[in-house]
Amino acid sequence: MNSLYLLIAIFIPTVCGLLTLRLKFADDHALHVYIEGVALVTSVLVWVLLFCVPGDPVILYEFEDRFTLQIGLDHLGKLYAGLVSVMWPVVLLYAFSYMEHDRRQRSFFAFYIMTYGAALGACFSSNMLTLFFFFEMLSFSTIPLVAHHQDHESMHAARIYAAYLFGCATLGLAAVIVVTLYGKTGHFIYGGDLAGVQVPQWIQVIYLFGFFGLGVKAAVFPFHKWLPEASVAPAPVTALLHAVAVVNTGVFAVIRLTYFVIGPDFLRGSWVQAVCILTASFTLVYAAIIALRERHIKRRLAYSTVSNLSYMLFGVMLLSPAGLVAGTAHLVFHSITKMTLFLCIGSFMHHTHKEYLSDVNGAGKHMPWTFVFYTISALSLLGVPLLCGFVSKWRLLTAGAEEGSVPALIGLASLILSAFLCAIYGLSVSARAFFPVNEVDRFAGQGRIDEGGWRMLGPLCFFTALEVWFGLFPGPLLQFIGTIVQGM
Amino acid sequence: MTTFLSEQLFIGGLHFTADGFRIVYGLIAVWMWALTTLFSFEYFRHERAHLKRYWFFTAATFIATEGVMFSADLMTSFVFFEILSLTSFVWVIHEETPEAVRAAKTYFFIAVIGGLILFMGLALMANTAGTLYYSELHEAIANSGQPKTVFAAGICILFGFGAKAGMFPLHIWLPKSHPVAPSPASALLSGILTKVGIFGILMTALPGFLGDGTFGLIVLLLGTITMALGALIALFSVNLKRTLACSSMSQIGFILVGIGTAVLVSALSGSGEESGALASEAMELAHSGLVLHMVNHSLIKLTLFMAAGVFVMRLHMINLNDIRGFGRGKPLLMIPFLLGALGISGVPCFNGYISKTLLHEGLVLAREAFAEGGAVSTASLLHGIEWIFLISGGCTFAYMLKLFICIFIEKHPQKQAEYDAATPCMNRLSAETLLTSSLLMPLLGLPAISGRLAALMTGDDVFHHFHAFAFANLKGGMMSLLIGMLVYLVIIRRFLIVQGRYVNRWPAKLDLEDLIYRPLLLKVLPKAGGALARFVDGLPGYARIIMPAAHFISRFMALLPDGIMIFSRRTFLHERKRQSEEIAPGQLRTIREREKQAAIPVVINFSFAIMMMCLGILIIFGVILLLSL
Repeated sequence: MNSLYLLIAIFIPTVCGLLTLRLKFADDHALHVYIEGVALVTSVLVWVLLFCVPGDPVILYEFEDRFTLQIGLDHLGKLYAGLVSVMWPVVLLYAFSYMEHDRRQRSFFAFYIMTYGAALGACFSSNMLTLFFFFEMLSFSTIPLVAHHQDHESMHAARIYAAYLFGCATLGLAAVIVVTLYGKTGHFIYGGDLAGVQVPQWIQVIYLFGFFGLGVKAAVFPFHKWLPEASVAPAPVTALLHAVAVVNTGVFAVIRLTYFVIGPDFLRGSWVQAVCILTASFTLVYAAIIALRERHIKRRLAYSTVSNLSYMLFGVMLLSPAGLVAGTAHLVFHSITKMTLFLCIGSFMHHTHKEYLSDVNGAGKHMPWTFVFYTISALSLLGVPLLCGFVSKWRLLTAGAEEGSVPALIGLASLILSAFLCAIYGLSVSARAFFPVNEVDRFAGQGRIDEGGWRMLGPLCFFTALEVWFGLFPGPLLQFIGTIVQGM
Repeated sequence: MTTFLSEQLFIGGLHFTADGFRIVYGLIAVWMWALTTLFSFEYFRHERAHLKRYWFFTAATFIATEGVMFSADLMTSFVFFEILSLTSFVWVIHEETPEAVRAAKTYFFIAVIGGLILFMGLALMANTAGTLYYSELHEAIANSGQPKTVFAAGICILFGFGAKAGMFPLHIWLPKSHPVAPSPASALLSGILTKVGIFGILMTALPGFLGDGTFGLIVLLLGTITMALGALIALFSVNLKRTLACSSMSQIGFILVGIGTAVLVSALSGSGEESGALASEAMELAHSGLVLHMVNHSLIKLTLFMAAGVFVMRLHMINLNDIRGFGRGKPLLMIPFLLGALGISGVPCFNGYISKTLLHEGLVLAREAFAEGGAVSTASLLHGIEWIFLISGGCTFAYMLKLFICIFIEKHPQKQAEYDAATPCMNRLSAETLLTSSLLMPLLGLPAISGRLAALMTGDDVFHHFHAFAFANLKGGMMSLLIGMLVYLVIIRRFLIVQGRYVNRWPAKLDLEDLIYRPLLLKVLPKAGGALARFVDGLPGYARIIMPAAHFISRFMALLPDGIMIFSRRTFLHERKRQSEEIAPGQLRTIREREKQAAIPVVINFSFAIMMMCLGILIIFGVILLLSL
């Protein structure tokens, strides 16, 4: 099969999303069926493609000699596309239930499904320019979702969001252009497109531009503030986009730039590596501290995401195969875990209209399933064995210990510190829910609060089951990630 | 060795094995869970609220404990260790009183910190030694080629497991959480969960770090501090369960001293003829002594905590001043308590005597070995530790005597008649359970049985040349008891009983948790971290600089055409100034602004962002051009 078929997978959600803005639907139910249908068709198509498409990149359009739009599929892309395509249809089910009483569901779901196309585009792109294109498209299609409530707060958040994602991405563009100019083949190769090419030393600075510019989406330290701001968006957006799709695309782009374009050998042992590792180490502790101080649960989780994204960047910047495997594994496992956490908290906020930590007191008795799933996910985030979070943390620690340089050891220490903080900020919510402080039960006398039926609990249960499954049997997945390192 | 869930599981699967030590400890765990469960029926008979939760987590903890006890590698131990840490948390918080919540928080903090340190240690160990199997650890550590990193890994593992064992300085949770848990759970917490920590240290240190004198010295010193500190707090405590908990800490110290002695002295075993022989004998004695002391302590604390449960059950009080005299005329309560107290105090003919004597002999021989080998400073250090050992043993006797006299001999000033009438103090099942558990004390006090047990657990039989009732050994035990008697008469009777009431003279401020840990973790760290975070937060963020700049530049850009138009009208177009229709700069924009106020800021940022993008491209191309010229 030709790689051009990949375009279909990108186009279906994008075009159908655009059409949704114009189509007339009899009622919300029809809209839901249509959207879920689009998502399912796309996901099935993606899975078919994952098994059939050969990896050769195809040039779609050529601006200039080297400046081309190319798509193709390699194992890293397959991994990310597989992850994304499982999540979208499942979270949509939750979203239908969550957005039930919203008046502007049509525009919401239109953009929601368009982001799917953009995320798939990022997975399938096979050079930096294409990746950057979809990277920006993802930002564009997310802004209406952040601003969905259209009140002062969400407009402000949307402004911040735009300013960060577009403004800082300029840095990334600089790197994209330079590496394209120097590239040998013009598409991604494991080990670096620039490897073996005589490049001037200032490419290191350009790499740093790229790291921070593309790392904006991964909320790396000076550019992290948009992520907590964006938590005003509805829970399905925060869960799927701001814990998985958008932020992981940032890490994904950094991986592409580091391992597939510049090449780890060029950077290993340089001051640039030290700067990146130290920035990631700082971010992961700093964000964990802020998360601890934050009383608004969703913002707390958002800061936790900031912290965990830096775990991935730390792994990636170790510039060793073990580090890449660890970072990528954490990308997958953190996605599952953090999404479950956000969905649980979203469920709680949706049904009780409360959003602060003190409001959780005693909620565990009234929404038992939601908080059981929350607790399991929080344990996974902390890295308790037999849950998936442990696997990637173990990999990160061993990869860091193997590297053994001073920045790596500082990173290890901050990893442990941040895991300790994570135990407190993550589990204190569960502790309050099940063992209310001073016996103050905020929901006394209310009995069981509705937990949203199967459409809300189903996805939670599904993702929690995934956490346990990958905690017990991560072997096949890790083996697959291992093939990325072998250059497939 | 059996591998379970192999390959598929993260690092090659869970590995289990069974040897003498593991089987004995697995059986002890079964025994303890069985007896506490029988005892729980009466203990919880009025409790309805959280019973399901309690049983669920008790069962889960049991499985996890067996998992650790039969694990063949550090990773398997770690997996079950973490599960056990989290499930036993529910025991501590079970009552949900403010003290329980506070203790549970402490417990949780220490469990998490311990778990993470252990995690770190495992990662380092896996990397440097290349294996996590207990059986291969010794060789792998010796051949690792990175002695410093391996040592760091060992220390991490020591502290990680030590946190659960109640080793100084991570002991703070122990005296707080054991008293607040329900009594059957306290028995398990104290009797077996602390041993899980010891298990990890023992398995790592004794085959793994043999020959590493520094490691042994660290364990020995920490063990000594734990032993002495626990005995000292127990002496002062006026709360029955707290005294028992502190006693647990002290006994853990005895066990750690055994491990430390064995590892420390093993550094000598290759040296001179005489000292080498002494050293290997000292090692064997210490090893046998410490495993026996583990077993004894588990069994004794089972009995004592269940006995304490009777007071909680009947009186809902455990302060010595409230419960004094309750035991008078209740032989079914007194006999098990007495047997337990005699066992733990190390009175000859009871189990504690044998294990403590073995540990003491191990210390003495180790000192002699070092003296023989010419290491005078180590020998004198060991001499000091030996005295601390004897004094701590004496303190054990003293505080058990204090408990016994208070409960079973003295009379309560007001309520004695009421207490005398309260018979039977427990139902038949509980009484039988209690009695059964206590009968093992004199049984294990027979050297023949203890010897067999030690041989089974360690693999070498020390009892063919060790005679428990030899004069030298009896002398040490008696000296310890004498010290205990003196401590009781001089310190407890004179200073700790004021006007007939037991008082705790331990300065309340002298609490490591309140003095250091809580301020450090809850005040200093958040303050420092918070200050840092606030400072970083307060730095003008990217958005805070860019937003006004964007606003300013785009407004300027928008007003520029208006301005040019008006300027040109006024100047070279020579248009006459009409007052009423004058268009002020920016008016065109303000009209639109009113219409779509909400959307404007976003648009401004878009335009600005795109402009910046263009600027960026320009700059980059400029740079490239300059550099390539």
